[in-house]
Amino acid sequence: MAHNIPILETERLVLRGPAAEDYPNFEATFTSYRARFMGGPLSEYESWMLYAAEIGHWQIHGFGMWMIHDRETDATMGMAGGWYPKGWPEREIAWVIWPRVEGRGIALEAVHAVRNWCYARLGWETAVTYVDPKNIASVRLCERLGAKEDPEAETIDSHDVVYRHPSPRALKASQLSDGIQMEIRCYSDPLFRPKGVPLD
Amino acid sequence: MNAPVIPTLTTGRLTLRAPGPEDFPALRAFYASDRARFVGGPKTAEGAWRQLATEIGHWAMRGYGRWIAVDRATGAACGLIGLWNPEGWPEPEIGWDLFEGFEGRGYATEAALAARAHAYGRLGWRTAISLVHPDNAASARVAERLGARPEGPVTHPTFGRLTVFRHPGPEALD
Repeated sequence: MAHNIPILETERLVLRGPAAEDYPNFEATFTSYRARFMGGPLSEYESWMLYAAEIGHWQIHGFGMWMIHDRETDATMGMAGGWYPKGWPEREIAWVIWPRVEGRGIALEAVHAVRNWCYARLGWETAVTYVDPKNIASVRLCERLGAKEDPEAETIDSHDVVYRHPSPRALKASQLSDGIQMEIRCYSDPLFRPKGVPLD
Repeated sequence: MNAPVIPTLTTGRLTLRAPGPEDFPALRAFYASDRARFVGGPKTAEGAWRQLATEIGHWAMRGYGRWIAVDRATGAACGLIGLWNPEGWPEPEIGWDLFEGFEGRGYATEAALAARAHAYGRLGWRTAISLVHPDNAASARVAERLGARPEGPVTHPTFGRLTVFRHPGPEALD
């Protein structure tokens, strides 16, 4: 017991353990239609109970979901990490991004960091992500991370599709990590910056 | 972020300690049993696991929560007792859930007294309530033994109609 949650830093993000003061944006997302692929929308009570469980998950397993913060403003942007509640067939790499944060490669950057941490620090040899096949943004993120659909793997409730992440060895032996880093650079330092709308 | 700090309390027969992974079997059994019918049960093993995670997280969110009451003579976990205040709760509450086979020995009263003393002493609460399901006569008797008096009903979206018992305040107990 008493696991202190490590802080992960990436180019644009700081990942910290979920704290009480970070709760309001979590509730806004989980009580909205945005949560339809994550068991929601939840009531305010259910959302609070889930958030507390996210914190308890760390103390039970020694890993869990980090809160993603903007490195510059410290604003919360979503969550990413390892998720393995009772009933999950395997340990999952999971994420949720607040709606207004979408489209900037934030989830890619956060998940890439937490996957590396789970592999390096916890010694995971494999990991999956459970996705609702209608959740196109998450399916796309699985693919950008190099995860592949695993039709043999056990699902949570048969409504989800299992994506299996490349193993630590496969990540090291390929250019996948470099490709992910390049994509993140394209978001953080784009070659082309639109200068506005031409009016004439 | 640092792990929640959860103090240990001691009473005549019980130790109140932080809930942890080792308590999952006891919670699974409790939430599968008929004893959980007034407190959100029955729950599946998955639901009981999430409840355990939530119990731990409650401490981080509020700075207080529920303890696992352990019978020191045998080392057995005999209940989930303490301070409870999730979002939307009418007021911070003193709650007691006794596991199967530990009823009728005054354990709930003994642990709740220690939890109340912690709330009034360390946390500076000025008042406290306990919510009791109208059909839960055993729990209402514990509330009365603690000197709490029924105030009236509240309706919770998940738990339905509950009776509010108001505890004597810190001054009345001095």
